[in-house]
Amino acid sequence: MANIREVAKQAGVSVATVSRVLNHPESVSATTMELVLATMEKMQYTPNGFARSLALNRSSTIALLIPNILNPLYPQIAKGVEDVAHQKGYNILLCNTEENKEKERDYLDMLIEKRVGGFILTSSQLENKDLQKIKNQNVPFVMVGRNIEDIDANMVFTDYYMGAYQITQHLIEVGYSKIAHITGSLNQIENLEKRRGYEKALEEAGISLQSQYIVEGNNEIEGGYLGAKKLLKSKEKPQAIFAANDLMAIGAIDAIKSSGLHIPEDVAIVGFDDITMAALIEPKLTTISQPVYKMGLIAARLLFESIENGQQEDGFQQKIFLQPKLKVRKSCGHENRVREIFN
Amino acid sequence: MDLSVNFIGLSLKNPILISAGPLTGSGEMMRKAVEAGAGAVVTKTIANEIRSNVRPRLVKGEGGLHNIELYSDFTLEEWEGEIAYAKKHGAIVIANILGHTPSEIAYIAQKVERYGADAIELGVSCPHGEGLEGVASEPSALYEFTKAVVKRVKIPVMVKLSSNVANVVKLAKAAEKAGAAAISGIDTVRSIAGVDIETGQALLPTFGGYSGDAIRPIGLAAIASISEATSIPACGIGGITKHEHILEYMMLGASTVQVCTSIILNGHEHIGLLLDGLRGWMTQNGYESFDEIKGKALTSLKSFEEIKEEPYVSQVNEGCSISLCEKCKKACIYEAIEWTDGQVTVNPQRCTGCGLCVSICPQGIFELNWKD
Ligand SMILES: Cc1cc2nc3c(=O)[nH]c(=O)nc-3n(C[C@H](O)[C@H](O)[C@H](O)COP(=O)(O)O)c2cc1C
Repeated sequence: MANIREVAKQAGVSVATVSRVLNHPESVSATTMELVLATMEKMQYTPNGFARSLALNRSSTIALLIPNILNPLYPQIAKGVEDVAHQKGYNILLCNTEENKEKERDYLDMLIEKRVGGFILTSSQLENKDLQKIKNQNVPFVMVGRNIEDIDANMVFTDYYMGAYQITQHLIEVGYSKIAHITGSLNQIENLEKRRGYEKALEEAGISLQSQYIVEGNNEIEGGYLGAKKLLKSKEKPQAIFAANDLMAIGAIDAIKSSGLHIPEDVAIVGFDDITMAALIEPKLTTISQPVYKMGLIAARLLFESIENGQQEDGFQQKIFLQPKLKVRKSCGHENRVREIFN
Repeated sequence: MDLSVNFIGLSLKNPILISAGPLTGSGEMMRKAVEAGAGAVVTKTIANEIRSNVRPRLVKGEGGLHNIELYSDFTLEEWEGEIAYAKKHGAIVIANILGHTPSEIAYIAQKVERYGADAIELGVSCPHGEGLEGVASEPSALYEFTKAVVKRVKIPVMVKLSSNVANVVKLAKAAEKAGAAAISGIDTVRSIAGVDIETGQALLPTFGGYSGDAIRPIGLAAIASISEATSIPACGIGGITKHEHILEYMMLGASTVQVCTSIILNGHEHIGLLLDGLRGWMTQNGYESFDEIKGKALTSLKSFEEIKEEPYVSQVNEGCSISLCEKCKKACIYEAIEWTDGQVTVNPQRCTGCGLCVSICPQGIFELNWKD
């Protein structure tokens, strides 16, 4: 028995068109309708999702596991995944792992049982042995973000170390030497990587590290708020603060403003991620743009290639690295507008 | 004369390619270009992520065209159909692709190869939309990008260069070393379209790229340097408006050329005019293949050290019949040109043989000769 994608291919139309024939026939031209219906009949296609997934042993659903939907970074990944999945006639199951290994494992078991067509695992905490389980079931998967273990899988990732290094170096270029860092939760490697990038940039510029200038936040707005308050109390207040994500930078901006200080004149602030809000708040936030939407697109592309063609013919593991990019706006106190224009 | 050429393993019916741009933005557009006679088409830049194009984005300036256009509006998946369509209609399709890291661009390369592209052109040299430094403007970065793509695909890989770089030769060599099959250039030249001085507003709201007639000398210089420095074929781009310009590029070492702006401005039938002109000139001059003219002018390029100092001065060949023109007199920096009773004369004592009058005179009455 054929599936919707095979019907679409045979009829020479998109999956979305076949789906419209089934669900919104009024939106399809008569000729297309006739063509699609004839193809369905010829290929003995039954438009019953459940029956079809039984027959195929796999459903037209893929699972996207992300740490936390409340972090504005992850909806962008989801959008990238969806933009490709929709073209392919798949829908998405979204699961929040909350960076909890057990929860992630539970989801994995549940989803394998549901016979999802494939997985996209974002900032996964899983170990090789967990992933072996997915492989044993022959379910294709793609990792987004690097894992602690060296995992043998298709993967899309960016370089947190490089991003943090770039933005710290930018602060040094603007002319600051007292530069503080509000880290993210330090049980995540990405936050350790960011701290390492920050330290490396200072070290290269001959600026000695000061422990009072490094405070741990919790990835959320409050963490940034509290972190900045604490930094403002230090004996010599910092000239600039690098928050490990934009949410914390927004919290820090709030803290600085509420202390009656001005940004960037009294304290400059920069973030990481480039969430939509970063370009809207006052002052506009200088940050590191993570190509998250693109990561979602590519992850989905890799996944559908595996679903459609099985493994790469040459067994090639796709490890696609995307470059983080400095976005210069107002909050860093950079006077040189040409950098902003060329963002 | 048979215009066909073999370029990076592709048999082209002629050496004129339509370059990456709005004329190759879809299968339909590529079909049109091929039906109008193009030897091959280079797709609009294909990327992972669509960035929608702003409006307006084109301004015709005095010497050329300014654009702030970015990449293709089609998704990567949609390009499968577009390439297939163009190929079904007989197009030889070179996919112009962009990625921001070696692994990303290699991924796209492998995709377009599967879609049936005959070759790849790396579009990593656009002067706008990618920061002040561009995507891969350092030789080491360009090497990594090219290498990653060459390793991943079987079809030939051409690398498109920009003149907005410190040393185009280093870049060309890096691409060659990484296994590029050819170098093409140039991409547009970073520009600002102008300022409306009444309102104090720039004509287009950001930095863009300049193309057309005005950039041809820049393109010629790039191609001559690239041809001298590498042993892979070069594809000349920039300001080709007449068939003579194609010959100029070829005489400076190009095997093929790409055209964009003059076709945008004059329509697809202009491709036919270029082809007719090219065929006519070659036949008239008794050439049977482009190999006979390729690189012919390169030997005429010398270092300053090699240029002999000769005692040239300007002389008037015949009388001038445009009495009110006086362009020569106004432009003579050395006040050597005199007009008396409607007659032009050059004072050989004052003339320094700079040669400006020779190219400025609409009637061509001046000639450089050795001073008596
Ligand atoms: C409107 C416009 C859009 C262009 N888009 C692209 C592009 O997507 N990718 C690319 O590599 N070059 C692009 N180009 C550059 C052209 O391919 C070409 O390199 C340049 O215009 C010089 O050639 P010309 O003087 O014949 O136009 C574009 C040029 C124009 C005018």
